[in-house]
Amino acid sequence: MTVHVRTLDELLHAPLEADSDLTTQEYLVNMGPQHPIAHGSLRVVVRLDGETVKEVIPVPGYVHRGVEKMCEHLNYRQVIPYTDRLDYLSAIMNNWAVAKTVETAAGIETNDRIEVIRTIMAELQRLQSHALWWGVTGMDLGAYTAFLYGFREREIIGEIFEETIGARLTMNYIQPGGLMYDIKPDFAAKVKKLLPYLKDCVEQYETLLSGNVIFQERLRNVGIVDGARAVALGCTGPVVRASGVPLDLRATEPYGAYGKVQFNVVVGTVGDCWDRYYVRLEEMRESIRIIEQLIDGIPDGPYSTIRYNVELTLPEGIHYGQVETARGAFGVLIVSDGKREIPYRLHFRSPNFNNLWVVTAMAPGWRIADFISIQSSLDLVIPDIDR
Amino acid sequence: MIHAIKVAQEERLFAGKSVSVAVITRGRPPGYLRVAFSAVTGLLRGLWLTLGYLWSPEAIVTRQYPENRATLQLTERFRGNLRFKFPNEKAQEDHAAFIEQLAHETQTHAHVAADLVREENETRWYHNCTGCGKCQEACPNASIKVFTRQGEILEDREVDRFVWRLDSCMFCNACVQACPWDAIEMTGGFENAVYDRRLLVYNLNRLAGPRINYIEEEENPDVRKRMVERRDRYGGEVPLNGFALPNLPPVTTPMESGSRAIDADAQARLT
Repeated sequence: MTVHVRTLDELLHAPLEADSDLTTQEYLVNMGPQHPIAHGSLRVVVRLDGETVKEVIPVPGYVHRGVEKMCEHLNYRQVIPYTDRLDYLSAIMNNWAVAKTVETAAGIETNDRIEVIRTIMAELQRLQSHALWWGVTGMDLGAYTAFLYGFREREIIGEIFEETIGARLTMNYIQPGGLMYDIKPDFAAKVKKLLPYLKDCVEQYETLLSGNVIFQERLRNVGIVDGARAVALGCTGPVVRASGVPLDLRATEPYGAYGKVQFNVVVGTVGDCWDRYYVRLEEMRESIRIIEQLIDGIPDGPYSTIRYNVELTLPEGIHYGQVETARGAFGVLIVSDGKREIPYRLHFRSPNFNNLWVVTAMAPGWRIADFISIQSSLDLVIPDIDR
Repeated sequence: MIHAIKVAQEERLFAGKSVSVAVITRGRPPGYLRVAFSAVTGLLRGLWLTLGYLWSPEAIVTRQYPENRATLQLTERFRGNLRFKFPNEKAQEDHAAFIEQLAHETQTHAHVAADLVREENETRWYHNCTGCGKCQEACPNASIKVFTRQGEILEDREVDRFVWRLDSCMFCNACVQACPWDAIEMTGGFENAVYDRRLLVYNLNRLAGPRINYIEEEENPDVRKRMVERRDRYGGEVPLNGFALPNLPPVTTPMESGSRAIDADAQARLT
């Protein structure tokens, strides 16, 4: 099998066709890197025939910071604050991915308390991330009210993070062998008080947006991608689950305290924007369910099993670990030479990078306005694509 | 809800495992009249929800930031600006009381009164730092540079200047976690806007000298005074950011001695 890889230059300078009925010509339009729907510096070149999208050419790289290269000069603890800055809406899960990989490779054991707190924090973060996504999707499709409601929940969960961790966005909380801080004594009570409120909020989301006929018409049956195609493009997270593939690392290879709790992997049936929308809403309900099961019985124990200043050296070889973030599977690949306490090479398998390319399969044939829905439903975080 | 949405739970085999799955299904599309009716009711229900904030404004969570500055409460663990801990609490309290009294006498605000004080009680700046440099090693961005000096009285290395670069700090708390002496902390300070970025690089310590317990062991007040030396917030040489990344191996070339000379020369210029 031969694969012809076309360069960006070839794609952008391919001849424009004039085969439309209305004797209009095809033309290329840049969406981004500065575009209100992009939520970051993502450049997407679309080939248009009138209003119809013929081809989508994503051009990532505008927020490339070389994080993976920088990590080659940092020890494993120092890598963690950099992962906050990839997918900043899943900072805790990204921290967890590095911590999990290092713990598995170095043979560091953690206790139940650490795993339960990690799980609760990760689920709170997932709720926070989905709340923000819900608001931003509403804003993209012209409902500014939704944006403010989404941020309301983000604020309230952010306050819990700030009390426990001291930061709202770039948390650097989960460390190899434990956590940065222990939870406060009133943490469980506060989270418990919050859960019924969050349940109400999800109902409010349904009332505000799901029941809106304009919103439904813009999402339903738009941007359909079937499960096989989504898997072939490497999609993970809600994007692949909406296409009916129950791929969720929390269920398929349980880590943390996910093995102890009952929850459903939410899957769609059609694989359109509406399924991707509703999968996330249902996932918020499942996250609340997971926290409800864990919050009552946080076991006792130390919050870290190793001292902070201890030298972490991984055995020689290739180590890989992955977790399910709010957007899909986030993996960390560490190549260690076994001698120094820094990685020899490091690679992040970020979910957004793979989820981005599915637009090339989804968008052709739809109008520009539908392309906005499609891109919103993918929930992209650009720094995670570019790294 | 114009489209009947059902969530049904079932067990599905995936990746060799039985996964409990919640499947979202939807009913047949409704007719035109039904859609028109739902369109109106759906919009009205949304509007009704937002209207609720009119008669329950206490549900609003927005904080009016610059206006609420006086009452703004940050949490205990909030990671703001890095600073030295000054463990001599009595001197701290005395100083605060003195400033308060001065403000009362001169009928000014406390921060104006604090500026009036020329000679400060040095004991309130005693610190926990030994200049071991663990924070400098832990910093992922090389935002911390600890300059040490040879102490005259104790004849041991002690902190001369503790330079923190706010402009490259990412507030990850690694330095605070790494400090074995509990000498530094992250505080609630977050308003850092300045007109010149050079103002963002400064010394955290007010005194160059040994750790507080070594000073307090000394009984002679004159010797105590000689052990420490005042340091300003600004002043002294400023390290170039990232000139020595932690764990970055030195560049080696076939000419060992030559490269070392270049290395030393570069460091001398940059530090």
